[in-house]
Amino acid sequence: MSHPHVPYPFEQPEQLAEMLNELDISGEEMAEVLPALERLAEWEAPEPAPADTRLLLSALLPALPNISPVRQAIREHQRDRVAVLLSIARAQVSLFGLGFWLVSALITLIGAGVVLSNLVHEQALALRVIGPLLAYLGTIVAFRGTRARTLELELACLPSPFQLTLARLVVVLGYDVALGLALSLSLWLGGAGQVLTLTLSWLMPLLLIVGLALLLSLRLSLPSAASLAYVVWIAAVVAGHASHLQGLPPTPLMAALPGCLGVVLLAVVLLRLHLRLDQDHLLPHEYSR
Amino acid sequence: MEERSDEQLMQAVMSGDQPALSVLVTRHHGPLLGYLYRLVNGDRQLAEDLVQEAFLRLLRQRSYRAGRPVKPWLYAIATNLARDHFKSAAVRRAGRDSDDSGVLLVLADTAPGPEDHALASERGSEVRAALARLSEEHRVVLVLRFYQGFSLQEIADTLEIPLGTVKSRLSVGVHRLRPMLSPVDDVAGIKKGVN
Repeated sequence: MSHPHVPYPFEQPEQLAEMLNELDISGEEMAEVLPALERLAEWEAPEPAPADTRLLLSALLPALPNISPVRQAIREHQRDRVAVLLSIARAQVSLFGLGFWLVSALITLIGAGVVLSNLVHEQALALRVIGPLLAYLGTIVAFRGTRARTLELELACLPSPFQLTLARLVVVLGYDVALGLALSLSLWLGGAGQVLTLTLSWLMPLLLIVGLALLLSLRLSLPSAASLAYVVWIAAVVAGHASHLQGLPPTPLMAALPGCLGVVLLAVVLLRLHLRLDQDHLLPHEYSR
Repeated sequence: MEERSDEQLMQAVMSGDQPALSVLVTRHHGPLLGYLYRLVNGDRQLAEDLVQEAFLRLLRQRSYRAGRPVKPWLYAIATNLARDHFKSAAVRRAGRDSDDSGVLLVLADTAPGPEDHALASERGSEVRAALARLSEEHRVVLVLRFYQGFSLQEIADTLEIPLGTVKSRLSVGVHRLRPMLSPVDDVAGIKKGVN
């Protein structure tokens, strides 16, 4: 798009007529208004001299953004939020040692073993107790740095605490969901009934525990928060088992309820983090040069 | 070398590219000054001040979404600045005058004062006065279309109004201008006839 500076762009009557046609003005009506429009050219606007433009530029230069090319490139890159999140998540994988991956897999194996061996009559109940152990473990490992007084360090990094939390959740929950699907597959191959309900009984409490633990961690230390979340869940499961709810048949909808609650809690936590620790608020761009 | 678009220049400006700013400002200084000059009824100093403020507001944006059309954005800022200026001027006038007829948000006084009489001999003063008598919404679209050469769609984008509204405002504005801007020959003819 070019912008030539022309004081009055429509010197020719044909041009004006064309413009009036666009407004559905034609014929006799056009003949009436055209002379009036032709007179618009009589009022000329001043054209700034090169010195005026230089003066304007000198007034504008102090307001010119002064952002390093590196930071600009990072900002450009950050426009694709999903890609950024995944790249941060990839970097966070190194936080989780081999022990985490193996213990998580072992817990899943135990869950599958308990169901397939028919050792326990209440299979869904057993999964509801064992499954959240994964969440407990994942939360403790992924967010162990919250009490390490590293806030200043974290703020100096480009990803905000909000982005880091989200990225670590992607890693933990991604791995746990993958294990849950593997469990589901093994149950299906092992001939277990109600595979969907059992899988949900495994995965949904897990979501609830992660959400509850992170919510509590806004007030408590992380190990305490994770332990309290797990204990509260076990207490709820035991209470439900002892009460009349025991008589209700396990359905996918009932099994999904804790997961929905967990997602809500996670959303609350992430919102709180976003509002409290948004890096953009703490580091205005003037300081990020 | 191929001329860079406004959008490419703006992206470079946001990363602190001084030559890009120079090209962008040089490209738009004249047209924008002309636009504001006509909106503020020929007050050059005021128009210059508003041009500077419009560019400053553009630069103070914290971020620029790549590809966002710059020209409508710049003219939208300029239009709002002109509106704000005259709103505050009208409020000041309303405070001074005890007239209870309310604040009339027009861009200029229509009653001719001594200064207006002195300017009446200038070429174009009749056009200026005619445009000043139009309401703000009609004047803005007329100036954008007939002086700045904006397309109907560009006007709609700049003012964030539907295309149909642009057309109707232009049509009304043109019809209101007609009796105020009779051809010079006609006026002379009428005067001759009277004499």
